[in-house]
Amino acid sequence: MTDDAWLAALAGELRRHQLGPDLTAHVVAETAAHLRDSGESPLSAFGTPEGYATAVADSVGGPQPTTRPAGPVRLEVRGITKRYRRRQVLAGVDLTVRAGQVAAVVGANGSGKSTFLRVCAGLTQPDAGTVRVHGRLGYCPQDGGTSEFLLPDEHFALVGVGRGLSRPAARRQGRAYAAALDWTPPPTQARHLSGGTRQKLNLVLARLGTPDVLLLDEPYQGFDRGTYVDFWHEVWRWRDDGAAIVVVTHLLNQLDRVDLVLDLTRAEAAA
Amino acid sequence: MDADRRAQWLRGVLDLCVLGLLADGESYGYELAQALGDAGLGPIRGGTLYPVLLRLQRAGLVTTRWHGGETGPARKYYRLSAAGRTELRRTAGDWAAFTGSVATTLRQEER
Amino acid sequence: MRRTYAVAEAALREMLRRRVVLGILLLLPLAFYLSRRGDHLGQSIRFVCLGLGWALSTAALFSGSAGRAIEPRLRLSGYATRHLVGGRLAALWTVGVLLSTPYFLLVRFDQHDVRYAAVALIMALTVAVAPPFGLALSAVLPRDLEGTLVLLVVIGLQMMLDPAGTAAHVLPFWFSREIATYAIDHTDRGYLDRGLLHGLSAALLLTVVATVAWRVRQGRRAHLEFVPLG
Repeated sequence: MTDDAWLAALAGELRRHQLGPDLTAHVVAETAAHLRDSGESPLSAFGTPEGYATAVADSVGGPQPTTRPAGPVRLEVRGITKRYRRRQVLAGVDLTVRAGQVAAVVGANGSGKSTFLRVCAGLTQPDAGTVRVHGRLGYCPQDGGTSEFLLPDEHFALVGVGRGLSRPAARRQGRAYAAALDWTPPPTQARHLSGGTRQKLNLVLARLGTPDVLLLDEPYQGFDRGTYVDFWHEVWRWRDDGAAIVVVTHLLNQLDRVDLVLDLTRAEAAA
Repeated sequence: MDADRRAQWLRGVLDLCVLGLLADGESYGYELAQALGDAGLGPIRGGTLYPVLLRLQRAGLVTTRWHGGETGPARKYYRLSAAGRTELRRTAGDWAAFTGSVATTLRQEER
Repeated sequence: MRRTYAVAEAALREMLRRRVVLGILLLLPLAFYLSRRGDHLGQSIRFVCLGLGWALSTAALFSGSAGRAIEPRLRLSGYATRHLVGGRLAALWTVGVLLSTPYFLLVRFDQHDVRYAAVALIMALTVAVAPPFGLALSAVLPRDLEGTLVLLVVIGLQMMLDPAGTAAHVLPFWFSREIATYAIDHTDRGYLDRGLLHGLSAALLLTVVATVAWRVRQGRRAHLEFVPLG
């Protein structure tokens, strides 16, 4: 990798960490000056762009964890019970999420994480329990949720019109959310998109029209590392904008930064 | 000397050493790296040094300015702030007490 | 109306992009027509009308299952059943008109001594009946293959069963044979009236069935309550 390529990669990584244009430019300029002065190779002096950007982000504290007062209740889940044949999947699950909160749903494979989210979205009927959604609901399934033969822009228009947006507004908003995931929607039918790209489309569609409650079912499958980071930054941003967010995840390294954790493992063990 | 142990020790005091060097006057990253090497603290990688400088800047212990050199590129210069000077004086005392205790303990081991 | 139109447009785009399927559907009635053109001109009219019904039902079946992945999401995004089913039906009816027009012209200029207006009526009723029939099948049967087989059986029966028998009356395209007799053999008005009544009832009934089946497939969500924000 040439110095310039390494520096460009560094700039990209710093942006991913949302360090702001000023700090990003300063760090890159200082690093470039050091490389010129010392004549060292960037990899031996600074390591990988990813690693160095993470070190920089850590030293300035990363995106600031703020303690915001939680808003009004947006999602109320009470006593959800669901069994498939003889297998109890969910047993009296409760969850309350307020505006500006992120709830993580965790649990082993088969512990009913996706079922729980589908129940919340009204796609699966539980055996008992109620779900109350205040405002509008956005849902991002693990797969599906798109139409094979439509272009990304046509998806934006279709979902946007349902949400009461005009077509140009829906397209603009869709493209803006896509850009935050470092994606420029191509004029390609959804069936020709890769798995990760299709999930980006899925995620953008869930957010279109800024719903008040967002249900995300492991939406990052097939994302590369950078997009995965982008995804969580988007989640924090949506939370800061006042959305109530429920994320199904089996990756626990983000749990220190969510507001609530719903662990479904125990429900399965008890059954 | 064991390189790992040395790196470990340095990690704990690198920020202090940088403050110490800056007590002699304004400097920039590469010059600080060289000065640390000359002082016998071993080669310091840029990837280690600059995050420390950012932390010091963020804590308000150093101030910075960009200055374009006539011959080279613009460089970021670091200068000790009043808070940095106070911090250096205090922690230098702490460090002396700490190394004193370490030295005493090690001598007891010899006996 | 904006929402129905948006669904119709998307469904139309989906269909127009499946070029191979579209090509086969377009040519299938022609094959039906040519297969009997040699021996009995009138029979070829009966066949082309049933061919149109089969092609349109199949198109509706595929269209219904193509929408399956995105419809739950659309339902959460402000679309009601009437938008989703109505929009897709509107798209299919449009395709039906486009598909049957060249075949009507073919009959108009290739055949003599038939009641053209009655042939046009058969085609119009076919365009009305086939889409809800295919959509209902796609809602009830989870896989395309199963739906296609059912369609094959229905059209096969429709061709073989004696239209005079009572069993034939319950088939969705019975009106086609009945009105064709009026158009080709110049029988009395009774054939036309019975066919018209059957066709209209079939279109209405199948539209209701398609809507209900679609609703059932989407599942109930009695446990979910939406509270609008003030």
